[in-house]
Amino acid sequence: MGGLTRGLAGWLRHSARLVPAGRRAWVEALWAEAGQVPAGPARLAWRAGGLRLIAREALLARRAAKVLVFAAAAVWVVHAAWPGPAGNPATAVNRLNVVTLLPALAGLPLLARWLFGPGAPGPMARVLRSGGYAAVLVLTLAKAGVEQVRDNPAALPHLSSDASVPVTTGMIYTWLVESVFLLVIGLYVAAILAVTARRPRVAPATLAAGTGTGIALGAVMYAVAPLGLAGHATDPWLHGFPIALVVLLAWVLLFGGPVLAGVVAARCYRGPGSLEQIRKARIRQAVAAGFLAAAVGALMVAVLGSATIALMSRAGWVLHWLYPGQHLPAAVSYANQLAASVRADNYGTILLVFPVIGLLMGLAGGGLAAPAPLLGPPPGGGGPPRPPGHPAPDPPGGIRLAAAADGRLVRLPGFAEDSPYDAEPALPRAG
Amino acid sequence: MARRAEFSAQTLSVLAALCADPREWRHGYGIARDTGLKSGSLYPILIRLADRGLVEARWEEGQPAGRPRRHLYRLTPEGLASAGAALAATPARAGGRGGRRVARGELRWAD
Repeated sequence: MGGLTRGLAGWLRHSARLVPAGRRAWVEALWAEAGQVPAGPARLAWRAGGLRLIAREALLARRAAKVLVFAAAAVWVVHAAWPGPAGNPATAVNRLNVVTLLPALAGLPLLARWLFGPGAPGPMARVLRSGGYAAVLVLTLAKAGVEQVRDNPAALPHLSSDASVPVTTGMIYTWLVESVFLLVIGLYVAAILAVTARRPRVAPATLAAGTGTGIALGAVMYAVAPLGLAGHATDPWLHGFPIALVVLLAWVLLFGGPVLAGVVAARCYRGPGSLEQIRKARIRQAVAAGFLAAAVGALMVAVLGSATIALMSRAGWVLHWLYPGQHLPAAVSYANQLAASVRADNYGTILLVFPVIGLLMGLAGGGLAAPAPLLGPPPGGGGPPRPPGHPAPDPPGGIRLAAAADGRLVRLPGFAEDSPYDAEPALPRAG
Repeated sequence: MARRAEFSAQTLSVLAALCADPREWRHGYGIARDTGLKSGSLYPILIRLADRGLVEARWEEGQPAGRPRRHLYRLTPEGLASAGAALAATPARAGGRGGRRVARGELRWAD
């Protein structure tokens, strides 16, 4: 114990540097008091509290650091997405995205805190929030790059014949599509903030199950459609049977993944309440896990795919990576970029449809898992259900047993003490 | 939406401990003993109260023999007024003896 206390003391002394300078006096104050606390577990607990204080104060400083990181990322997004030639419709679209999304990203946490409470504790919730924000920022940036390639009026004559150019390319159509995109992204951010807030009580296991499945779905979907979504796989690496297998896996993961995540989340849920409350809570966890699985998958494929397409025209290594060992003529390479940038629009469909599928499949998973682990007999014992106000009759002999707080079975007062059921059972006489 | 309470139950217990004798400078371990709070809960509360100007803190003067100098705390006049108002609006068990006396106006910072 002495060694542990001394070790903790050393740790406390060194880790106090993590706390901002203005707060260090408080850690020193706690440290100074430790000598007055009786030696042994009490002193150990006192010093452990010191570590908690350091963690808390250091995290508060980290919160300020998070705001700074977001501000820096926002400046970078503005710097990359704002400029553009006046003749390119993408310039206006990108500027709209920037002026809409960045304030939304900054303001939604405040709204979510008001509606759903502060962020849930635990690394899973923090990772999901940070990851979600990073994903949306990268998507905004990547989308800006894709738009600049696709909406460049000089690019149209270079489009290959199989590129599906949108029929309606007027500004009304563009603004409508962009409004839907912004709404969908706003809903994604709001949903991530909601499931990682305290009040909805989404369990860490649910977040882990949903996110893990979503990452698997996103990775497989990216393997199928790294260069935009089309009627066929846009994967330049795989052909024939292997790509058919990956496409099949994507379908299985799209519909089966959220069900699996829902089942896992429902089974892992441990909470207080009656059987009915637990069943409902498990279904809620399953729906959240299913939604997360599909939403994380959709966001991941949209981010990775858009970034790949945006980088095609900017980084030579991406072309080498996509088409290994092939020397593509400049015209073919440009046509590939244009076709991919047009197909990138279809990631919007994934972003819109996947969460709905996830919600439904998660609900199915909850339905499969929630009623299974019954913790005991239904209220009122066995037999057919009775109408309200008609309790089950007492058992023969007037004995009723109830579980005592300490787990023993005790007799409730008011029932026959000398019941024949207490006597030793008599053996039937022969003859 | 219901308005959030100004002080948590734990903060109220700290305020009540400091109210027992508002003029006396108290040290952290003493407050922890009175309130039953762990150090990891007590010190963040003291920090927030100090940030709000409800508690003042200073280091013990001089170097005592055999132990490090202590950090000492007491309520500011504003802190005493806030504590009195908060404890008056709180069930008696949360306020403690000192809290109830402040709430009744029996104790004032300038007494």
